Amino acid sequence: MKANHLVWIRRVSQTFFLILFIFLLVESRLPQDIYLDYSIALDAKQDIELDSPVKYFFQLDPLIWITSLISGHQWIKGFGWALGIVALTFFFGRIFCSFICPLGTIHHMASYIRPALKKQRMVSANQKHFSQRFKYFLLILFLMSALLGLNLTGLLDPISFFFRSLALAVFPGVGTGIKELLDLAAQSNIKILNYISYTGEVLISPVFGYGYKAFKSAWFIGILFLSILFLNRIRPRFWCRTLCPLGALLGIFARFSILRLEKDPEKCTNCNLCHLSCQGAASPMPGQEWEATECMLCFNCFNSCPENAIAFKLAWPPRVNKKPDMGRRAVLGGLLAGLSFPLLGRLDGRLHHVSDARLIRPPGSLPEKDFLKLCQRCGLCMKVCPTNAINPTLTEAGMAGFWTPNLIMTQGYCEYTCTLCSGVCPTGAIRKLSGKEKIESPIRIGSAYIDRGRCLPWSGNGPCIVCEEHCPTSPKAIRFIQGTSLSPTGKKMNVKLPYVDLKSCVGCGICEFKCPVKGNPAIRVIAAGESRSVANQILLTL
Amino acid sequence: MNDHPITRRESIKKLFKMSGGLALAGALTCPFQKTISAWAGSTHKKFIVEGIGRNHEYSVKALVGKVFEAAGGIHKFVSKQDIVVIKPNISWARSPDLAATTHPKVLEAVVELCQEAGAKKIRIADHTIHDARRCFAITGAGMVAKKTGADLVYPRASLMRNMKLQGHRLDVWPVFLPLVEADKVINLPVAKVHSLSGLTLGMKNWIGAVGGRRSALHQDIHLTIVDLAQFFNPTITLIDATRIMVSNGPSGGSRSDVAVSNRLILSDDPVAADAKASGLFNFRPKDIGFIRLGEKWGLGTTEFQKLRQHKVII
Repeated sequence: MKANHLVWIRRVSQTFFLILFIFLLVESRLPQDIYLDYSIALDAKQDIELDSPVKYFFQLDPLIWITSLISGHQWIKGFGWALGIVALTFFFGRIFCSFICPLGTIHHMASYIRPALKKQRMVSANQKHFSQRFKYFLLILFLMSALLGLNLTGLLDPISFFFRSLALAVFPGVGTGIKELLDLAAQSNIKILNYISYTGEVLISPVFGYGYKAFKSAWFIGILFLSILFLNRIRPRFWCRTLCPLGALLGIFARFSILRLEKDPEKCTNCNLCHLSCQGAASPMPGQEWEATECMLCFNCFNSCPENAIAFKLAWPPRVNKKPDMGRRAVLGGLLAGLSFPLLGRLDGRLHHVSDARLIRPPGSLPEKDFLKLCQRCGLCMKVCPTNAINPTLTEAGMAGFWTPNLIMTQGYCEYTCTLCSGVCPTGAIRKLSGKEKIESPIRIGSAYIDRGRCLPWSGNGPCIVCEEHCPTSPKAIRFIQGTSLSPTGKKMNVKLPYVDLKSCVGCGICEFKCPVKGNPAIRVIAAGESRSVANQILLTL
Repeated sequence: MNDHPITRRESIKKLFKMSGGLALAGALTCPFQKTISAWAGSTHKKFIVEGIGRNHEYSVKALVGKVFEAAGGIHKFVSKQDIVVIKPNISWARSPDLAATTHPKVLEAVVELCQEAGAKKIRIADHTIHDARRCFAITGAGMVAKKTGADLVYPRASLMRNMKLQGHRLDVWPVFLPLVEADKVINLPVAKVHSLSGLTLGMKNWIGAVGGRRSALHQDIHLTIVDLAQFFNPTITLIDATRIMVSNGPSGGSRSDVAVSNRLILSDDPVAADAKASGLFNFRPKDIGFIRLGEKWGLGTTEFQKLRQHKVII
């Protein structure tokens, strides 16, 4: 096959997978079909579920598969795809990196379209660099850490990283910008602007989310994303060469690839054109030994060589390619760091002593220890949550749980019959629930308590009971008793005083969300009482 | 951009200007008095219709048709080319059998009646408590919209506009625009108990028509309900009491909270409609604060003998 054709096949494939990735990301939302047949919904037999395979890219990812396997000791349904990618890599090298990986495509675009470096500087930037060993360090760190029960992979796994960056930072950021413009138009007295605003909102809301989406620490996620894009100006595909742990893993598998770069030193004129366009810094020039584990098979060198001195060919029988250049330090460092992180992560005592009261996990979450073995911090649950309650943690779950999901009830609440987040978790850190199971078990994510000093009836500042009104359980977990409280002027007031019945409370947080006492609501939900933890129970029997 | 909020009058004026000739034509063809007179101390006698489904297999649609017939027919309230907005109570993402929301069959029947009357556009609008998309789907309102072709308005922040309510308690408050920018407004609440206000009926349904700090309204619930009812002042109120929530209101959540009542109450007097419905829960109308205050501030009456009373049984 001609090199030019290969390059074009690659570009089509990259475009296809990037669009598919973004499509599935946008689809990770409450289904848009609101025209349900209510006669079926009547018996809660039908849960609102996503039809699109939004987990698909996670299931393609061998790193997620392998770390979940060694830390969670379980085979997660759907990861046959990842096995397929491993098999593909075995025969054809890191084809995933240049044909499929959507983050790779973004980096490819950033470094290929209007590159920062020109000519000789680009040639030297594309020489193999010792820093490329760093990704093996990260890979070994993640594998070792996963083995010891802390799965940090998602922090730098490209699929998780890209999904998190787009879903929590890029899309909400752009959406907020557009929406503020539309809101400005909506406030105008010019009618046509009002119509434009409404139409605009109808069009963009399904894509960017309804209302103003917000995620705590999303600014940091966004800055990180911009930074790794910027790194492409220092060295093309900096992330893929230096940081990507998945790239490192696939590189190791690529050792026996039968698709090889064959070189003919006789024909080479040392023009360096192959180096100029090399994406992986994989030493494509004749005279150097080809780095099979660094090569992303973008076919640029093949395409650019004017002398036909290099060509990709299928070589049978398989020969062993050059082994990955990890360096002893990266291996030992990775092992040591991988050993340290799970231990350091336990030092804050959250796992063995007391966890943060405000660490409220989505319904169906596994016990914390198992949760940390599987959660990829990808942000899929945060993206689908229709009330925007699920946020990435910053400190609530300690170092070990950085960016894992956490419900912030002042921002949203867990809707009583909604089970969307449990259905989308790619690794099952949040196990699949049905609406019926969630209500009837019941699955508790925490429990509410009343701050009597702030509560309006309790503090004598007037009648309220908004919390009782919104409580979704039957019988209600928030009840009231007719009583008196002293008003600030010393007058006796007849008011309904709210009480929480811990036996019925599921911790959904709608009371906290709707409480008129803003900032620090007078009724708050804490993790105590959550179903997933035996140690966190309050009552002797439920 | 908006130094002073738009008053209701201004917004109606604007609407007239905008729709220009069309609105004028509509105003000329429709008997203007009937709609205006519905509340401003006119000589026109108001009515209340109670529809009861005795037969166990009665059709909700037929009952809705019959109560409107008894009131003089839908043409009396909805004219050709009208923009009609229907305000159901679909606040909770609960299935219809739990009685937390207006039954989709009632909603569907009303939409179809409006279509028969020749309405130009029919909108279904409610500022829900739970996520609106889930409410639309689960309460069946979405399906009604799909079946009938009515518009289902999503409660967006950009559709909330500060308006002067000129109430006794509320002055300026964000209002859900579609509910004021319409020729005819039909209030379509469900009857259920409410822990603070006693009952959730027609007048209380207007809490779902505003935005802003809604949960603060509960600090003076009865007076704020009356303020809102006075501002929104629907053409007619049809209370869905086909099944009523008798305990654990207003959200319910269990079928044991629901009682079958098989009733519909239609009136152009918002106070009378609520007063009638309060009887279903064995309340005296004056036990309910907002009914008492509504009568006091002249929104309507609880004395049914002042009205034309009808009863239809099928």
